Amino acid sequence: MNMKILNLTLHHIRRSPFQSLVAFLTVFICFLILNSFIFVNRGLSSVLSYFETKPEITIFLKDGLDEATVQAVQKELAGYPDIKEIRYISKDKALSLYKEMNKDNPLLTEMVTASILPASFEVSAYNPKVLEVIAQSFSAKSQIVDEIIYQKDIIQSLLTWTQVIRTSSIVLISIFVLIAFLVIFTLIGMKITNRKDEIRISRLLGASKFYVKKPFILEGIIYGSIGSFFGFIISFLIIYNLRDSVNFFFQPITFIYALTIFEPLLLLAEIFAGIFIGLSASWLGARRYIKW
Amino acid sequence: MEIVFEKVTKNYGPISVFKDLNLKIEPGDFVFITGPSGSGKSTLIKLILNQIKPNSGDILIDGKALNHLKNKNEIDKIRRKIGVIFQDYQLINDLTIEENIALILDIVNYPNAKRLSRIDEVIKMVKLQHRHFLFPSQLSGGELQRASLARALSIEPEVILADEPTGNLDPTNAWNLIKILQNINKKYKTTIIMTTHNMDFIESLDKKVIKLGKSEHENT
Repeated sequence: MNMKILNLTLHHIRRSPFQSLVAFLTVFICFLILNSFIFVNRGLSSVLSYFETKPEITIFLKDGLDEATVQAVQKELAGYPDIKEIRYISKDKALSLYKEMNKDNPLLTEMVTASILPASFEVSAYNPKVLEVIAQSFSAKSQIVDEIIYQKDIIQSLLTWTQVIRTSSIVLISIFVLIAFLVIFTLIGMKITNRKDEIRISRLLGASKFYVKKPFILEGIIYGSIGSFFGFIISFLIIYNLRDSVNFFFQPITFIYALTIFEPLLLLAEIFAGIFIGLSASWLGARRYIKW
Repeated sequence: MEIVFEKVTKNYGPISVFKDLNLKIEPGDFVFITGPSGSGKSTLIKLILNQIKPNSGDILIDGKALNHLKNKNEIDKIRRKIGVIFQDYQLINDLTIEENIALILDIVNYPNAKRLSRIDEVIKMVKLQHRHFLFPSQLSGGELQRASLARALSIEPEVILADEPTGNLDPTNAWNLIKILQNINKKYKTTIIMTTHNMDFIESLDKKVIKLGKSEHENT
């Protein structure tokens, strides 16, 4: 019979299954959260790019403007360079758009008439800087302009939210990585204490310090790699199960993309990260507790 | 492997076990270490294994002083050349007898291809063929002693340190063990250092004897 280190490590894991399960679950949850945040961040980046690549400004007009004023506004807008498209949305058109958007909810459309909806101009440009100039210029015309919705504001708001989500995810993941590290470190310490006789005998028989540390270090690597692997796989399955509904909600933006080379690479990177967490925690644990 | 004690003193607190002990064990020697309880027989074994350190003096293994070895791996290397039969067996309770032997073969990096046959060989040698799959807690004192012997023999050591190896054996098995050790000593020139209280062995066999006194030693 050949006593391999892996067999010895698996033997250690089997001897204390609940402790091992705790270590595995901590790494698993850590990577489940990490992966979920990665996909949310990817989705938010898609939303951002969508708005960034579709420079548009909407100028809502005040009620009661005459035809000549509206035409004057359209003429002024057309005078700007790099304009791609100017669309006038009259009150009637706004009503039909509103009804189309809420066709499944008659309560929302029953009481709404064209008179309460503002007319507007939707302006898109090849150069987003032009939109900035238009926004500044029309903001000053309070007698004809009711409100201006500029994509830059939406992008700014999205950027703020993305930043908040990214920062919280980094903080949350760091906390979980630290917990996973400490759990493995403590667990390895406990296992070494439980097996001190075995270690002492092995040392007396000529085993080097590294030889007796190896099964414990390998144990940490196993928790790290398996925990990260299943963390990825489970989060991946959940995310891809929700893909259609999430993408429908965000349409026309694709929030969750189809499988690409990114996912296998991400899986590899996460397994390496898991191995690193397990290896460093168990290595330090073995170094700290095996002194003889 | 040559083992030399040069003016070795070992104290446990106020109790002096040896004072300026000098002894030399040549490669291929068969040596009995005897003396009353507390005379330091087990201490002598522990000193050779570098399990404990002397208060003063040097222990030289093949000319290298254990307490002056700078590279700690050297001690591991020396231990890998020594087969030990501990008084309290020191078998790993979680592993079967077979696995205990496999572990030491792995520690000494015994050739993979020969491990299984070596385990079978030593298990037959100590007559544990029907017990090798059992755990230490499932064996009697005598069987544990033989399992410990099998583990020590498995690595084909240069030296066998046997601390009271016949203590838990009936006279027949005790003599069988002595015969095994004698054969190994004769066939492979393995140095045997055995502590014992049993004067029958010492008187019946014409071997070198180191007698330890309560607080002094005598080298014969």
